[in-house]
Amino acid sequence: MIYKETGQYKSSYKSDHAIFPLLQDKIAFSTLMFIAFLIIPFVINSYWEKAILVPFLIFSLAAIGLNILTGYCGQVSLGTGGFMAVGAFSTYKIMTYFPDMNIMIIILISGLITAAVGIIFGLPSLRIKGFYLAVATLASQFFLVWLFNKVPWFYNYSDTGQITVSERTMFGIPVTGAEAPSYATYLFCLVLVVTLSFAAKNLIRSKMGRSWMAIRDMDIAAEIIGVPPLKTKLSAFAISSFYIGVAGALYFAVFLGAIEVTESFDIMTISFPVLFMIIIGGLGSMLGSFLGAAFVVTLPIGLKFLMVDIVGLSAVTAKHFEITIWGLLMIVFLIVEPHGLARLWSIAKEKLRRWPFPY
Amino acid sequence: MSLEDLKKIPYGKTAIELKNISLAFGGVKALTDVSFDVKKGEVFAIIGPNGAGKSSMLNVINGFYKPTSGTINFAGTDRNEMEPELAAKSGIARTFQNIALFKGMSTLDNLMTGRLLKQKQNFLMQALYFGPVAKEEEEHRESVERVIDFLDLQSIRRTPVGSLPYGLQKRVELGRALAMEPEILLLDEPMAGMNVEEKQDMSRFVLTVNNELKTTIVLIEHDMGVVMDISDRIVVLDYGKKIGSGLPKEIRNNKAVIDAYLGVSD
Repeated sequence: MIYKETGQYKSSYKSDHAIFPLLQDKIAFSTLMFIAFLIIPFVINSYWEKAILVPFLIFSLAAIGLNILTGYCGQVSLGTGGFMAVGAFSTYKIMTYFPDMNIMIIILISGLITAAVGIIFGLPSLRIKGFYLAVATLASQFFLVWLFNKVPWFYNYSDTGQITVSERTMFGIPVTGAEAPSYATYLFCLVLVVTLSFAAKNLIRSKMGRSWMAIRDMDIAAEIIGVPPLKTKLSAFAISSFYIGVAGALYFAVFLGAIEVTESFDIMTISFPVLFMIIIGGLGSMLGSFLGAAFVVTLPIGLKFLMVDIVGLSAVTAKHFEITIWGLLMIVFLIVEPHGLARLWSIAKEKLRRWPFPY
Repeated sequence: MSLEDLKKIPYGKTAIELKNISLAFGGVKALTDVSFDVKKGEVFAIIGPNGAGKSSMLNVINGFYKPTSGTINFAGTDRNEMEPELAAKSGIARTFQNIALFKGMSTLDNLMTGRLLKQKQNFLMQALYFGPVAKEEEEHRESVERVIDFLDLQSIRRTPVGSLPYGLQKRVELGRALAMEPEILLLDEPMAGMNVEEKQDMSRFVLTVNNELKTTIVLIEHDMGVVMDISDRIVVLDYGKKIGSGLPKEIRNNKAVIDAYLGVSD
């Protein structure tokens, strides 16, 4: 009774094809956007910015990217960390060569560069599928990290091999560097994430998304309908890498400020967690990308709060428990709900529709 | 050769002519020296016992298999082989013996994929989703809805096709092929595994498509009752060789065909 769509008739195909066809969803989304844009910026502090909101936004973007490739187009990828590194190092190099360029443009160009790299590493996907492709993308992860470590040009021949962001402003307010206020970095990420999410959703609900899903579900039939397999797979690699590259650029420029490639873009710190995000959130679901990112970002914080602050364990013990619980949760999710949090949400909606009646 | 060439051919004249087609996989000869032609606007049936090479023949027509020798004359142009994408662009659609739907997508989305070749907007426009893209999307939705009405698929519009019963999946697959607005429709055992009512429905759909949209139909089917009733001409294959062709009543009395189906007593 809470979530009922009775009486909401669609009289045009356009309204039937809208992103939020139901009134309840529209209201919920508008409220969320109102809070995100007009309330949080005024109350945000450094802890919420650094620990929760900015990483959540950045990882949502990476999860959307990987979901396009893996969830919608069915091409498994373990190279997320490598592609995020491409985004980060592109940003760094463009910043060095064009000191006056606007940071927003720099980040978008970094995304395009990552897209180009993604296309190159997507080429094997025509010949190999499934686990074999996963191994090929794993190679790209190790190759890219190795490359950024090995060639000093990428980190401007600095002694530590670290790259550090310099201050850049939007409308006179610094958004990168140590001086950037919390609300500025948050809003900067939020604007990019919201815009790019809508773009992704639009792609998914039009021709491109249907070609991806056709390739995912039955590539032979797709080819006979006239979907070119190579072009479609490469477009998924390109667009997915664009999103992951932008996420990598934000991760470096806005979130961390200074990074060391082997540490920050390792397979265990980026590639696997982002893959977990889309598995836990829901493969082939936009909502799932956000839910998964929120889950993975907040789980360690929640567990630490529970174990250290409430139960009173030492921080080290808590860390060990965290890793164990993490692994357990992955197994539980894969067995109990392989379609992830997004599916749980649609089940909940179904229940809310009937509540308080059982059927 | 193109869709335009195919459209220009008058009804009753040859649309596809297969000349001496042979197809071998290593030492296995799937087709040997098969020739026949399909006339525009007819219902053409390919029959034969199991393993006769019927599906291989369809795969040659829409470019999935490349024949070892022989030529394919499509809409007046001789070719050694077809390409799947080219076949799709030239107005050839097909269904599969084992259903090849996009199982994770809804019926509506499956049918919409049939329109992919007709959607022209580029991906940047799709990402912005304004004006022309929305308009194009609506136009295609309208023609897909016509197919949905025709095949009575309204109630399963939003259902993921993987969860539909077999008979309906077969119908959705026909719908996806029809959404392409094909000139030539290749049906690989559209009635396999169906009960009598479902077969009647399917025959009705096939005949309506043929009569009203003037679509040429190339059909593989095992139910001889259906084949004899709905097809205009028949070709019979056995062990990859053509053993007979002609009108249904000629085939019914063809000695070689009867022997192939019933066996020969020594």
